[in-house]
Amino acid sequence: MSEMSLQQTPAAPVRRDAHGDTHGSHSQRVQNLKFATWLYLASEVVIFSVLIATYVVFRLHNPEVMELFHEKMNEWPGIWLVSLNTFILLASSWAMVMGLRQIQRNNPQGLMRWIGLTALMGTVFVVFQYVEYTEMAHKGITLYYDAASGIFKDFGMRFYAPTAFHGAHVIVGVLWALYVVNNARKGRYSSQNYIGVEVFGLYWHFVDVVWIVLFTLIYLI
Amino acid sequence: MADKTMTPAADAASEAQPGVPGYVGTHYPDDTTTVLGRQINLPVYTVVFIVLGTLTVLEVALAELVPRGGLTIPLMLLISLGKAALVVWFYMHLNSDSRLFAVTLLVPVVMVTLATLFLMIVPVGY
Repeated sequence: MSEMSLQQTPAAPVRRDAHGDTHGSHSQRVQNLKFATWLYLASEVVIFSVLIATYVVFRLHNPEVMELFHEKMNEWPGIWLVSLNTFILLASSWAMVMGLRQIQRNNPQGLMRWIGLTALMGTVFVVFQYVEYTEMAHKGITLYYDAASGIFKDFGMRFYAPTAFHGAHVIVGVLWALYVVNNARKGRYSSQNYIGVEVFGLYWHFVDVVWIVLFTLIYLI
Repeated sequence: MADKTMTPAADAASEAQPGVPGYVGTHYPDDTTTVLGRQINLPVYTVVFIVLGTLTVLEVALAELVPRGGLTIPLMLLISLGKAALVVWFYMHLNSDSRLFAVTLLVPVVMVTLATLFLMIVPVGY
């Protein structure tokens, strides 16, 4: 267990960075921040899994509902809109790491451009998700049961809970991206100090990973 | 486990190069990527994005063109897991970060997968 600890090793060199921290304590702080982020993401895994498991079990016991759902998804724009949205989210993840790459090369302007693009694509994702929800509601797939729901009366909550919870994460991510851009504008990141960008990246990529799973489980299978 | 350290601080300290961009981390990819022994003039992040896009097109084609059932569902699940693994490995830097981070992610993933599989075999009404 001791080899898994976050203790500073005696062999670490002692140098000072731009903030006056010793190099050892700076890298220790960086690693602690990243570890804390991973712990947070682990808790998110559990929350999303509960929603996904609820959907999977419902799907298993209600194949006729899923058949009808896929029929509805095949109507325009349906699956094509969601596929485009998936591609946009994947592209936003790519923009995110390209931004990180720019600040690692000490190019804050490049960082702002790429993270700005990430925020833009995240916003487009949310807008398209709103369009998709509107279409779904017109087809009788609503959050709450009403007369128009019919066969989908128990499906709506199971569909909207994981996808909307994910959408809420995208909205938080967009706001976070704008915060990162603002910090970059104020010169708070450099090639020596970009942990704020990296932590945001971990969150954003996690949101992307969750969507990769949701897209296949809910829309394709 | 004994021959490979799981101490993030030790990892960072041993690979740190002050003065070199990105010295606090280990993620500073080149402008070229080697795929199957061939060098491509694109950073690894872009190559991964192209692979992710291609796999997504393949997944949608499978779902739309091939009747569901048989091998298509396991195949789509496999592609999805592969895409998720690519993002976690390259974009979230688990390929170069501490193994402790990988363990932190894998423990809940394995637990909830087992729990979900259990729930799937519980008959309706229980």
